[in-house]
Amino acid sequence: MVSKRFLLKRLLLLIPVLFGVATLVFGILHLAPGDPARIIVGQRASAEQVQQVRAELGLNDPLWVQYLRFLGDAATFEFGESYQIAKGTPVRDVVATTLPVTVELALYGQFFGILFGVPLGVVSAVKQDTLTDHATRVGALTGISVPIYWSGPLLILFLSTFLGLFPASGRIGSTVFLDNSWQLFGVELPLTGMVTVDTLLLGNVDAFVSAVHHLLLPSLVIGIYSMALISRMMRSSMLEVIRQDYIRTARAKGQGAKITVLKHGFRNALIPVVTVIGIQFGSLLGGAVLTETVFGIGGIGTMLVEAIGATDYPLVQGTVLTFALLFTLVNLGVDITYSYLDPRIQQ
Amino acid sequence: MSQDTSDTSRRDFLKAAGGAAAGAVTATAGCTGGTTGGNGDGGGPSGTLVYARGDHPTNYDPQQTTSGEVAKVTNQVFDPLIRFEPGTGGQLGDSLATDYSLDGTTATLTLREDVTFHDGETFTAADAKATIQRFTASSYGYYLGDENRSGYGPFTFGNWVKSIDASSDFELTIELQQQYAPFLRNLAMFAAVILSKNQIESFSGSGDPQVKLGEEPVGTGPFEFDELDNENNRVRLTANTDYWGAGPNVGEVVFKEITENSTRASDVINGDSHITDNLDSQSFQKLQDSDSASLLSKNGINVGYMAFNMDRREEFRTTAVRQAVSYAVDTEAIVNDIYQGFAAQADQPLPPDVMGHNDELSPYPTDKAEAQSLLEEAGVEPFEFELATFSNPRGYNPSPIQTANQVKSDLEEIGFTVNINQFSTFSSYLDYTDQGKHDACFLGWYTDNADPDNFLYVLLDPKVPMDAVPDGQDWVSYDTEGYSTLNAAAWANQEYMETVREAQATYDTAQRKQLYKKANEIAHDEAPWVFLDYARTLRGIHESVKRDSFTVSSVGGPYLELVEIE
Repeated sequence: MVSKRFLLKRLLLLIPVLFGVATLVFGILHLAPGDPARIIVGQRASAEQVQQVRAELGLNDPLWVQYLRFLGDAATFEFGESYQIAKGTPVRDVVATTLPVTVELALYGQFFGILFGVPLGVVSAVKQDTLTDHATRVGALTGISVPIYWSGPLLILFLSTFLGLFPASGRIGSTVFLDNSWQLFGVELPLTGMVTVDTLLLGNVDAFVSAVHHLLLPSLVIGIYSMALISRMMRSSMLEVIRQDYIRTARAKGQGAKITVLKHGFRNALIPVVTVIGIQFGSLLGGAVLTETVFGIGGIGTMLVEAIGATDYPLVQGTVLTFALLFTLVNLGVDITYSYLDPRIQQ
Repeated sequence: MSQDTSDTSRRDFLKAAGGAAAGAVTATAGCTGGTTGGNGDGGGPSGTLVYARGDHPTNYDPQQTTSGEVAKVTNQVFDPLIRFEPGTGGQLGDSLATDYSLDGTTATLTLREDVTFHDGETFTAADAKATIQRFTASSYGYYLGDENRSGYGPFTFGNWVKSIDASSDFELTIELQQQYAPFLRNLAMFAAVILSKNQIESFSGSGDPQVKLGEEPVGTGPFEFDELDNENNRVRLTANTDYWGAGPNVGEVVFKEITENSTRASDVINGDSHITDNLDSQSFQKLQDSDSASLLSKNGINVGYMAFNMDRREEFRTTAVRQAVSYAVDTEAIVNDIYQGFAAQADQPLPPDVMGHNDELSPYPTDKAEAQSLLEEAGVEPFEFELATFSNPRGYNPSPIQTANQVKSDLEEIGFTVNINQFSTFSSYLDYTDQGKHDACFLGWYTDNADPDNFLYVLLDPKVPMDAVPDGQDWVSYDTEGYSTLNAAAWANQEYMETVREAQATYDTAQRKQLYKKANEIAHDEAPWVFLDYARTLRGIHESVKRDSFTVSSVGGPYLELVEIE
């Protein structure tokens, strides 16, 4: 059982972490060269017009005034409206629209990672130092080493352009558009923003198939890295477990090798792997950013890159803090799970 | 289309084999692939045209943006009063105005009758007046606001328009503050399209409430704005079946964002998109080599250049030094090797196909000996200077870092030391050059209205009073009152300034043309810039697009209402 004190302590620790991130983001953005006012009015505008817009946006105020204003906004998670990328739209709405896109991609990537990573790790451990083991290890090493911006275009070239198996871009067919809400017992409800879930909620099977078809390739690309890491972790954890006395005892009692490995070894070896999966989810969000760019999927990552390019202060600040919050919450979840599995960690 | 038959056969075989393996998925997912066109049984336009692009703006108000990506969409939804004729490179034609003239300081336009907005309201002169007022008049109750309107507000109308008379429904009279020859061309610019007065006044007032217009724009154009899908970075337009002009020939247009150049090219090759643009040279090559897509190109109306900052570096105030640098930089290698032939060498500020381009001028040949001799004659030793550049490709300079390195190595051969200062974002770069902090910098310009004034006055006239330029000096300080930072060279040649200012107020075309030829000659000889290139305008299209239905536009467009898909 997780103690309330432990939980409270971890939750309180979130405050200085987020405060640090907020300060860092504000500092970096305002120290970096570039003027959002110039972006808004464009190359054709006069210097006076740029100054006028700077004044309207409060960018001529002393930096500490802007910082305090930003901290006040951050405390309520209200960052105002985007200057340029989603002009006129509250940052909160932009994040709510784009975050599910990235989370969905990361989830599918994680799914592929687990689906292939866990069995490969087990097989590799059980068949240690055989050809299968070596092949799996080399494969895992390659998976970790190959960057997404290289593997993505390569897979598009081969599986999409050359073989014509998958679409090269997007997360649903170009001509498939979904309704904005769905109904449950006559009550209108908002959609989740995750296209495979939404198509099912809307009962649109063709659109669901289209979404799965589109997401397969990007998920595979993002899943390769995850798979490699999980299989390596699974292998080492499994190797450690199968050398334990209780495994030897089980075998000595006459239990079959397969049952021993799967029933006793696998479950115990899974504990550190679960931790890795959780912690790694944050990294997958980062990986999703690259994958989105390569596959033309408009999630929060693509949007963040564009916002940085346009010096869209509110949007960058809001998005980075959302990422930080998500990352710390996932880590907190992992810590809680782990402390549940191993109560010693609460000490 | 250079792929040989053996490659094609192997690919077809692999496609067939792969297709069988993935049959379960692809058979049921057929709805996601290429789209079909042609006229449906109902007689109206049908089929979906998919346009892949590198960005997805979320606000489609033509008065709030300087983005060409927004213009691609708003040019389908709205009409201007006067338009650039498709495929002509800037020839003016009728649009919402059927007759127009500019006499002295008065522009008179007769408007088209029986045109309706997508919301059913009839178009009248009051809509045109409200459009201009929203963009420029702070006294108007529905003014867009200084912080929301783009720089095109003053640039297109604000600096020139004195008053507007819309007392008759279909006659519009615009009084200008001074004679201004490019004004009718300004009316054809994307930022000058006509909005609905009804929609403008449906928002609660001026300033921020007006920002919302860009989420559901209502125009008179060939396509209606149907859906802004920010989750998937797409925009869907549907055919306006009551459109007053030719087309539309497809039922829907979908604009979708694919930021990665190579993916965008693949999408067209696969047939998932029909048209794409703004690719890098590698991706264009990919399209050129494909047997299912092709590359269309046209002379662009743009110029890429390297400006010498005469305000900051005294050495650049000597004409012979600027000429020496122009002789030393191998622009032929830049356009042929770095830009891979997708651009032509520049020889003057004004690109070909624009009135006043001087055909008698030619690019500075690469001649290092001549460069050195000019420096010796001027008594100037080669020196060290900074060359500022942006990092990301732009149409007129698709490889800025490589270009900067070429300039550096060319100049180092004759003894200069060039320090390249690269900027990661274009906004920070403009911020830097606007303050005149550069010694020399790369910049470029796409035309707004295909008028020579849009290059020659805008980029090389300092816009200060003539008497602000001291006698015998051909540069001014960035601090001079009224100085326009668009002139990144700080060049202020009095003869040039007089010529372009006279041309700006001259309505006789032949006379105006001669004045601009003279201005180009002065600029060529005085070399305030190293004239780098005129980039070609390129588009990738899938084979399903009927070839003669799509024309590449170097200004205005794309004219998607004319496109047919098979």
